[in-house]
Order: sequence, then structure tokens, then C-alpha cells
Amino acid sequence: MEKKTNTLLILALIVGLAFHGSAIFFTLESTYDALIHLFFADHYANSWFDPWEYRWYTGFTVQSYPPLVHQLIGILSYIGGLKFGMYAVALIAIVLFITGAYRYTLLMTGSRRIAGYGAVMAVFSSTFVETLHIFGQLPSVSALSILLHAMTEIYLWIKTGKTRYFITSATMLAVTVTSHHVTPLFGMVFFIAPLMGMAVMDAAREKVNSYKALTFKVFWGTTLQHFWRIAKFGGTAIFLLVFCIFPYWYNSKRNPITQVAIPHGSRDNFLEVTSSGLVFFIIPWGVFLFILPYFFYRYFSKRYVFFGLSFALLTILGTGGTTPIPLMMLGETAFNILTLDRFTLWATIMALPIFAEFAYRMVEGDLKVLIQSKFGGVYHRVLGGLIAGGMLFMVLFTMTLGYFRPSQPAKIKMLPIVNFLGADSHDSWRYLPLGFGDQMAWLSAQSGAMTVDGNYHSARRLPELTTRAIERIENSKFRGVEGIGSLQQFLTVPEKYNLKYIFSNDKFYDPILYYCGWQRLQQLENGIMVWEKLNVAPIPQIMPKQDVPTIMKIMWGIIPLTTVLIAIFVNIQMIWVRLLKSKKMPEHSFMKLELPYNRFPPKLLTFSHWWALLVLICLGYGMYIFYVKNVAQLSPNNVVESYYDALDFKEFSTAHSYLDPEDNIDIAQYMLEVSVTDGILSSYAKLDSLGIEIYDETENSAKAKVATRWITPLENVFNNDYHELVKRKNKWYIKSEKVDNDIPPDQLFTANGTTYYNHGRRKITTQETYHEDVLKQPVLEILSAKLVKYKGQYSVIGELQNVDNTPADVVINATLYNDDNKELANYNAKHQIKHKLMPKETTTFKINFEGIAWSSTKDTLPPTFDPDQFTPVSFEEQPTKFNLQSAGNTANTDLYKHVALQDLKYTEQGFDGVLFNSGVQEVTIPQLIISYYDENSELLWVDHKFITEGVRIQRKQFFNYKPLELDSLEVINSSLENVFVNGLPNKAVADKIFPNRKIIHGKQQTQPFNGKGFEYLKFEINSYIGNPK
Amino acid sequence: MRIRIVFILSLILIGCSDKQEEQPSKVVYPKVDLVSNITNSIAGEAISLTFKADTDINNIKLQIKNAFGSVLLSPDVSKKEDIVFQIPKNYTRVAGPCRWKLLVDGHTLQKGTFDIATNAPKATYIESYFGPRSVTAGNNDFSMLTIAPTDAYDNPLDDGTPVTVKYQFQDNIDELQIETESFFAFYNVRSTLKSGRILVTAECNGTSSKELATIVYPDNAVNFSISSSSAHNYADGNQIITFKSDVIKDQYGNIVTNGTLVTFVIKNDQDAYLYTIGTTINGVAEAKTLHPDKAATWEIQAFVTGAAESNTDNFTFKAAIKDYPVHFSKGNRNIDVGPFESFMKQLIPDGLLLKLDIYDMNGAFVTSKKTTTKNGVCNIYLGEYFLAAGKYKLKISAAGITKEFIKDIDGDTVE
Repeated sequence: MEKKTNTLLILALIVGLAFHGSAIFFTLESTYDALIHLFFADHYANSWFDPWEYRWYTGFTVQSYPPLVHQLIGILSYIGGLKFGMYAVALIAIVLFITGAYRYTLLMTGSRRIAGYGAVMAVFSSTFVETLHIFGQLPSVSALSILLHAMTEIYLWIKTGKTRYFITSATMLAVTVTSHHVTPLFGMVFFIAPLMGMAVMDAAREKVNSYKALTFKVFWGTTLQHFWRIAKFGGTAIFLLVFCIFPYWYNSKRNPITQVAIPHGSRDNFLEVTSSGLVFFIIPWGVFLFILPYFFYRYFSKRYVFFGLSFALLTILGTGGTTPIPLMMLGETAFNILTLDRFTLWATIMALPIFAEFAYRMVEGDLKVLIQSKFGGVYHRVLGGLIAGGMLFMVLFTMTLGYFRPSQPAKIKMLPIVNFLGADSHDSWRYLPLGFGDQMAWLSAQSGAMTVDGNYHSARRLPELTTRAIERIENSKFRGVEGIGSLQQFLTVPEKYNLKYIFSNDKFYDPILYYCGWQRLQQLENGIMVWEKLNVAPIPQIMPKQDVPTIMKIMWGIIPLTTVLIAIFVNIQMIWVRLLKSKKMPEHSFMKLELPYNRFPPKLLTFSHWWALLVLICLGYGMYIFYVKNVAQLSPNNVVESYYDALDFKEFSTAHSYLDPEDNIDIAQYMLEVSVTDGILSSYAKLDSLGIEIYDETENSAKAKVATRWITPLENVFNNDYHELVKRKNKWYIKSEKVDNDIPPDQLFTANGTTYYNHGRRKITTQETYHEDVLKQPVLEILSAKLVKYKGQYSVIGELQNVDNTPADVVINATLYNDDNKELANYNAKHQIKHKLMPKETTTFKINFEGIAWSSTKDTLPPTFDPDQFTPVSFEEQPTKFNLQSAGNTANTDLYKHVALQDLKYTEQGFDGVLFNSGVQEVTIPQLIISYYDENSELLWVDHKFITEGVRIQRKQFFNYKPLELDSLEVINSSLENVFVNGLPNKAVADKIFPNRKIIHGKQQTQPFNGKGFEYLKFEINSYIGNPK
Repeated sequence: MRIRIVFILSLILIGCSDKQEEQPSKVVYPKVDLVSNITNSIAGEAISLTFKADTDINNIKLQIKNAFGSVLLSPDVSKKEDIVFQIPKNYTRVAGPCRWKLLVDGHTLQKGTFDIATNAPKATYIESYFGPRSVTAGNNDFSMLTIAPTDAYDNPLDDGTPVTVKYQFQDNIDELQIETESFFAFYNVRSTLKSGRILVTAECNGTSSKELATIVYPDNAVNFSISSSSAHNYADGNQIITFKSDVIKDQYGNIVTNGTLVTFVIKNDQDAYLYTIGTTINGVAEAKTLHPDKAATWEIQAFVTGAAESNTDNFTFKAAIKDYPVHFSKGNRNIDVGPFESFMKQLIPDGLLLKLDIYDMNGAFVTSKKTTTKNGVCNIYLGEYFLAAGKYKLKISAAGITKEFIKDIDGDTVE
């Protein structure tokens, strides 16, 4: 038989390259993983043999991920840059996948025609589209493709025992191992084991005349015959798996993953979390869902029975948390470490040949005949069209998912940030990007500067990160309370990691940056706001590093590419022969096993129809539920939910459409009213949960109590709102609320003030700043400081004053000691302090000692996270003394002091007060710092309250504050002995600058109040301005 | 057999016996004399050491050791009569003692020391520091000027080198002579009583330093006085009252630094301590706040906390609104309040706060509602969802006037 070029395969390759090859340029960079691989590639491009990478997590080893793909990109980057390398490798992966699918199908079916179908199906398989274009898992795709190629060789080795096949299969497996570790590990179990079974089965089949005659006895005998081949290959495979990436296993042993597992969508219950169901079940399976019965029918035939078992197992494991079976099978630990989507990926890849066979039978085989005879030709064409259309729809849907529901923030121009980091030694400190998404990896790849964050969560090293289920600090708002909590720890004690610069692409984080004492530096031309923190020392010249033996470095640097070279060398002859058909090759033995396909079982056809109907009903029901839940005005519950959703996403015109039309509030008026309300809830909050209680519902009216929980960067806000709902023309509406009518007396308002500017360097030079350009640190004085215990928690409280003549930025750090002078804890003041002080301004402060949350991972995590983000440090011993170190640095921003306390009244509900903004900047989030004093005007406690609405210019804002009960408070130590200012003893400063301090002033500014455990209190105001003008 | 063993053993013994060490042949070291006699040199001048030997020496070396480091030199000219070592520039430029050793095969033939003096005449450079960058006016603060004069090769000049220090404050320029000690000279420039800027410079051997400055900031403020002003003295809750200090100065009459924070504490007749904040410009602090919305007397006192306070100023607000009507309708659920008329019978500006507290008939607090006036009136509707039908005590307070009603909600409007 003359061998002809398989036109379908050529067609698949052309279409595949054209389609995927052009699409990757629009998708790959916004996938989850691709840029991470790019960062690793950059590491190899710069230091091939040294595995230590300083730029993430204060240093980690790249031996924590198999290197082949990264090294390939790294090498190719010398030709046309990193991105060129990435696209080149992606193109190679596409070709390998299509040809791999072809060879795998050929092996399974023995028909070149069906194998051609397999190649075409591979191009349009939604699971491949998702893995490449949404997840960007280049190593996984490459490894899987090579594994598919290797399967034919493995089969032939088992079957024929020719050394040639042993060598080819081993070389290909080595390449697989060095590209991705999980693929061969599980591939052994799920692909290679059934493949060996099938090879033995085929050998056994040759001994008897029919499958019927193939008994277990025959099979067992054949297995024993082939045992040494299997053992030889199995041993080699294990050896390759261990040897080729030995440094990886070495590193896993040395740095075991002890971190808290990160929740992953693939472990969700897909019926509950429908978005996870869509991404991890519906999309990868796609049209295959309808043909599942055929897959099982075919895979549980005698020849394929081992694949059948494997396929069933993969299908079940891929369902994640929907059924309890995966958890039972994998066990608690494995279930929480593995991402289960890979099982679905393998299941769908495994199904490809059978799907190709189905397509062949449908298009030109016996199934076509059967359907045409049973239902007629039109039905066959319609059905075929539906299946093809369904496939195309899934591909387009998957491909555009990232476009309609972006998983990443808009593309950020990195050049201004890279330039900023490179200029003026800014890279002597660490930086932190916020709101960058996976693009942070691309920033890291372009700059030599270091960050405390990172994007490869298995390598996380900092305890602040590993003890919490957060993958990055950068997107901490999506991780709720623990994310924000972790971020706050980095922001409060940035000195610990020499963190000085923050690039903020999300204004959500701005308030917490301000209240932790950070200041805006400048807005870069790409719109990224740079924040900086004063008083942070640069990174030391010598940094810790975990070294590995030289032999590991050499192995890691040389083996991966060598495996590729060997594989190409060994296989080149075959590739050449196969491509050009230059030499007549003997047919492989599996080619004889092509089935005649002359009788499609009618019962299966009927069953498949019922199954398809069932799937359709399920889908339809799902869509109906989705519709009912999402039609805004169908029920009182829906309208309230939609209204809050619209507010949360700032879709004000949508929100307006839910308001009662008879209230006659036109859209322009509504937008105006919304636009003038500023504050933490309207500008910096994410709606976290919404509890709607509908009561007094009648035919046309209802009342709703809405309990909302908002995640703000500062703390959680709980709100209760009441709404009246009405039904008009079958639609429910919300009654609108009253707005504040207050108008200021003046139209134009003038204000004078002192502004400050610091040159930094007066002379433009790359040298260190000149001595005369270094500003003197403003002198502070600590007026009082105490170690107190309140509600079982230790805090250091106190009051300090900027006694200098320039504005000061204040950093204050307290250390607790026990009686034996053993250090117990150390922390900075977070937001219970005014960080920026004008000359002679005072502020009270409180330092809470925050421990790293759940610091031992063995602790069971609270099932629902405590709304209080605070994790007090657990003291083994009683703290009795403290040391207070404060440092002033010249401040020149955020010095707005024009919010006055205009009225204060005590009622049964607490203090009702009025704030008045007498200046010309809009205060977005006002903060009250409330200090409590005893009868001698000695400070007892400091509390704070964020007011959820802003204070507009020349307007009032009301607040309510319930004073605390302090009768249980215990003052442990109130000595000013170990208190230091800019490294000097506080007493010396006080004696020199304020020898005749009028102590009485403190008392004269406090509010007498007969409270529980205190006699006086004071309200101080700290104002965050969202948009300084 | 035995003989053989004895033989072998004796052979071994002979082999192990101590071998006579070869005695070192007596080395006769040549006699070398220093020809050039350098005891003193000046930094930067070429120095060479010349020796004379009685025999030819092949591997003679000179070791030089001074503050720059240590080096082994080979002779430039190596004749019997004339062995010349040229000392490298790096070594001759460093002032201080310089030790040398003449060596042959690790054996010291001769050694000596000579001094290199600083080269003050060639050129003098001045390294100067001045800090802190700012001081406080008065008698107990100072900035220190530190001068380290060096020669052209960065050698500090000899102790006792005279340095002229000049400093200028306002019209005065003072000049004085100090001397270096332990390689540098220093002078404490004392703070002045007036605030301003002190410029200093230093001169040594005709070379001047750069200009250095310290700023004399004013001392802590002393007591001052304040005044209040407003467009009118009615409590309309809308106008703005301004508090202003006179020029705040320190004990020496200097105006306090711009930006000094002054807290104006207001004590009202309800004993509430309110405040507003101003920062000084040219010594004057100005702070603003809103008129109260009911008659009040305010006692205002300002503080520069810890340092100074002002007199207590009083401001009395007269009631702008004498009374307001309340009208119930729609089963007492709709409450119209107003019109609110101000001191000239004009409608008050929008935004007057009205608060409604609702108590049940046992006097227990149920709920409260707030609203603001618009066009002089305001309206509260107690929807059914908000308040169940029944008898309630309604307390309306606005502009300091509280009115109480007992109403049957959903009852008869007309009483």
C-alpha cells in the first residue's frame, strides 16, 4: 500500500497554527500562568546555573519548578527577547499537541483516517483552548504533548521488545519529566499503566482467534511473558523521574510545603459555585458531555478496559467537591494540595481518540448509516451540525471568556515603573505592586528590583504569607479578611523587609496605605500611583541565600536541554522518514487492529439520545435558575440584591432604574447625589455579603432589612439599612431615600496655609546625597507611654508631640520585655496614630502586638474567618517592660488639619458629634482617635473609629461614638525610662527643647466625662484625602 | 632462617637510623650601606634610596611600609656600588612615618625610618561639615563646624595649623582663628536670640571652604491673645465663625515658625469641649468653624500645646429661630415641620438638622430619624415598615427647641 500524506493531519496543523498561533498573541499575556513562566525564563536567561532568585519572597529557589520550558524560553530570548521566546515555545507546544493527538489516536484506533479526525478534534478541543489560552500552562501542555508522542513508543516496546523503542520511549519520557513534574507522575498511573495493559491485551489477542476467546488466563500468561519489559520500562521511568529533576526532589525534601492550602475553584462544589463549575467542568468537557455514554461504552470494551478504568477515575476526580468521592479517594492532604482541574484535562485528552472515532462514524461510518435509516438524512445533518456548532461555540466562548470577563486588570505599561525603579537607587529597597494581577511577574522579569511578594505560591517563604491562604499580597482584597490582614502586616512593619515603595494600580488600597503612615510620592505616566514610606533602611548588601551543592546546579542547568537534544537525535531519523515518506516502513502492529465499524449498536444510539436529553435538561434548569436569580425586578429579594450589586459595581444608571419611578428622581439628579457622596463605603469598599430579610410582604409592597458586610481596606463595616419596596406593573422597585440638604454659606472660599517641599538632592549627581542636603530629623517628644492590658490584650499607648519647627512623619515601634529582659514582641503603630504632625502638634497612639496569623499551620483554621482581622500575638510570658523607639522624618504631604469638632452631645446612644470641614480639600475618610484619661489626666486607653462617610468641603458630617468601659483596664508599666526619639533618650530631648512644659494644657483640652473607669476623654481627627488637589 | 631474619631486621634498622642532616653552609651576607640619607621628605616629592654593597647581590629587595600599605621593591639600578630603589608615587604621597627594610632571601640587612611631611605649601583643600542644620533661638543650642584641612594629597595638615572661621548673622560677620588638633579644627557656632540664618565658612592657607548654613528657628511660643469674628451672632447653623490669634512670638520676640499648630478649644454652655485647628502664617493662626444651630455661649481658648495659651474669648450666639410649627397628617404618619424663620423672618438656609426621637408610652426608646430642611421646611414620613401602628411619644428637636407630642400612629389626625 502506497503511503499517502494524511491530508486531515496537514489540515489540522495548518488550521491549528493559524488559529492558536495568532490567538496566543491576544490571550497568552493575560492568562494566569504565562507571565510567571516568563519570569522564571528571565531568571535562567540571566543566571543559568545559580538557582537562587532574590527578586521574589526575599529569595527563593527556581529548583521548585521543572526547568525545561523556562530554559527554552530563556535561550530563545537571546534571539528576540523574552516574549519572543514564550511565543516560540507556545507555537512548538501547539504543533506537538496536534501531532501528539494524531499519534495517540492512531495508536488507539489503528486507523489513519480516524487519527486525522483526532488531529482536527485536538485543534478545536475546548480543554486545550482553556489550558493554553486561559490558564497559560505552557509546561503542562508541552509535557502532555510529548507524553502523547511517547505513548506509541512505549506500546511498541512492550509489544515488540525492540531496544530501539525502549530508547525512543525513554528519551521522550525524560523530556516530559523535565518540562513538568506532575504530568509524568500521574501520567504513569493514568496513561502509561493502562497503555501497558492494552499492549499486553493486544499481545494476548494475537494468541487467540477472537476477543471472546481471550480469557483472563490467557491475559495473565501474556502478562507474565511481558513482565520483564514492563518492569524494565517502569524502573527506567521511575529512575528518569527521580534523576532528571533530582534537584527538584531534593528541594522539596529540604523545603517541604508547610503552608496553608490556598482555596482553588477546582475543589468547589460545582453545583454551588457555578462559576467554578463552568470553568473547571463545563468548559473542558464541552460537547463531550453529550457523548459520555459512547466514551464509556467504547472504553469498557475488552481491549480498552484499562483505559476505561483510568478514564472513569479521572472523570470522577475531576468533579472536585461536587461529590465526596474525590476527597475520599485522595485523602485530606492530597485533596487540598492538588488542583483537581488537571484530572478533567487528562480525562478529556484521553477521550480524544474515542471522540475522533465517534466523529468518523458519524460523518462517514456506520453511525451515519444507522441514523439516516432510523431518523432520516435531514436529522443526521442537523445533528452533525449541532455537534460541530456546539464545538465551535465552546471554542469561541472559551477563547473570548477572558475578553468579556477579564480575569486580569487592563494591561499596564511597565516602562515607567521599570524606569522609576532604576532611577536614583530606588531598587535599593523592596517594592510591592498592588492590583497588578499576574502582570506583576512581567514587571519583576523586567526589573532587577526585589519585591516581598511573588507569584509562585508554592515557593512562598515569608511567614506572613505561608500562614494564610493567600497566593499574593498584590491581590489581597480578593482574599477578604486574611488577605487584607496580611497586607496590613507588611504595611505596618515595612522595615522588616526593607519595603519602601508601593505601586498602586487599585485605589482600593489607598486608605490603608495612608493610615499605616505611607505617603503618595508621584503618579507615573501610566497612571500608577507610587507610595513611599519614610524611615526604611535599604536592603543590606549581603543577603541570606540557601545554597545547593554545585553538582545540583550543574544537573539542573545541563540535564533538561540535554534530554531534548538526545530526544531529537534519537528520533530524528524516524521523524525524517515519517515526514517525507522517503523509506517504506513496515506497518506497526497496532495498525492491524483497526475495527471494521460496520454495526453501531442501536441501543447505544437510543441511550445516547436520552442521555443528551438529560444533559440538556440539566443545562436548561441551570440556566433557568441563573435567570430567576438574576432578573432584577422579579421579586423583592431580587430588586434589593440587584440594587446593591449595581451600587457595588458603581453602575449607577442601573441602580437608578430600580428606584420607584413615582418618586420622580431623574437620572441626572440621582447621579449628582451619588457623585457627591464620598467615603469609605462609596469609594473603597467591596460588598462582601448581603443579608436580605423581607418582611411585611403584601401583594404590592414589602419592607426589607438589609444587613451588609463590606470589606474595606481598613476594617470590615457592618451596616443595616431599611428599604421600602413597591411593586408597579409586575416589577418591584425600591423607594428612594432622602439626601442631606445642607448648603454652605459661601460660593467661593479662600484658604491660606503653609506648604512644604523637599528637594531630595539639590545637585544632580549619581553619588550619594550630599551631607548638606540631608534634612535634620524633626525632634519629637514622647509625653507619656504606658503598657496596658485590656481585655486580655497587651498594648502600648501614649502621647507624643512634634516639638520641632518642621512637619514630621512619625514612625513608632515598641518592644515588650519580661522581668528577665527577654524580648517578647515587637510591633509598630498601625493606624491608631496621626502619622503626619505639624510643628507642635500632638497625637495619641496605640501599638497593638500583632502575631502572624495562625503561625503554626497545624492550628485548625477557623471555619469562618473572624471579622476582626487582628491576631494578637500569644505571649508565653508576662510582659512587664517596654522599649519605645520613635523616629521623625520631615513630612511634606498629607498635612490637612482643617476638620473641626463642631458639636458634641452625650445621649443614651453615646456621643453624637458633628465634624465640620473648614478647609478646601474634601476629606474622604475621617478617622476619630479617642483617648481616655483618668482623674489625674493620665492616659489610659486609645481607641479609634472610622466614619464611613466623608466630610465635604464646608460641610458637616455626623458621627456617633459609644464610649468604652475601661474598668477592667490594667496599667502595667508607665515609665518613660526606655523611650527614645531618633535614637536619643527622650528625657534629654524634653529637657532641652521643652524645659518648662505646661502640663496643664493636656487637661484643658480634654472633655470631662464620668465614664466607667475614666474621667476625661479627647477626640482627635485624622483625615484621609482621596484626591488631594 | 634465623640469620636471614636478623639480617633483614638489621637492614631495616639501618634504614630507620637517623640520617645525618646536611649542615647549612654558612652564608656570608654582604655588607650594605645607605648612601642617600633621607630623614625627612615632603609628600609628593620623589624619594629614592641608594645603597652601596661590597659584592654583587642578585636578589636584593626593599620593603616599604607606611599608611598607604606595604610593598616589596626591586632595585631600579643594581650595580655593586649603586643600588637605587625608587619609591612609588602612591607611597611618597602619604604623609607620616615610612619604614623600610632591605632584604636578601628573607634576611633583613638593614632597616630604617624616614618621615614624609604634609605638603601644605602646594595646595590646601578643606573638608568641612556643619550640623545640625537647624538650631533653636536662645542660649543653649549650637551647631558645630568641623574643618579638616588637607594638602593636595589628602594628608591632614599638621596639628596647630591655623584656620580662620567666619560666620555671618544678619549684619554681623565675625571672624576668629582656631587651630587644628588631631588633624581637624572645630568650632561651635552658638545659636542667636533672633531667628534667621547663620552662614559660616572657614579658611586655611588661603583656601576657603564652601558656604554652610544653619537656620535659627524661633523658640517656643509665649502666651498670646485671640479674637473671634463672624458676619452675625445668630445661631443659624450656617454661617462661619473665624478665630484669629495676634502675632504669636517666642520669648525673644521672634515670630513662631510658619505652620505652628494652634488648637482653638471651644467650651460651650453644655460643657462640651469642641475644637478647631489653625496653623500660623507670619505668626497669625486662623481657624474656622460653623455657627451652632441653637443659642449658645462659647468660651474659646487657644493653645500651642505645652508652650503657650491665649486669653479666653467669649462669643454668645443668639437664637436665630424662635419657634417652628409642626403639622401631622395621613394618620399622624406624615410630619411636616416648618417653615423655620430666622432672625429677620427670612427662611433659614437649607440644611438645618431636625431629629425625631420616638419613644413608646412606657418611655422606652424605639427609634430615631434625622432629616434636614429644604426651602425652610422639612418632612418626615413614618412608613408602615418603619413604625407599627400604636401610640407613641414623639420628640422633635431642631435649632435647640424640643417639642413633644403624644400621637396615635394610624390614628385620627385631627386632635
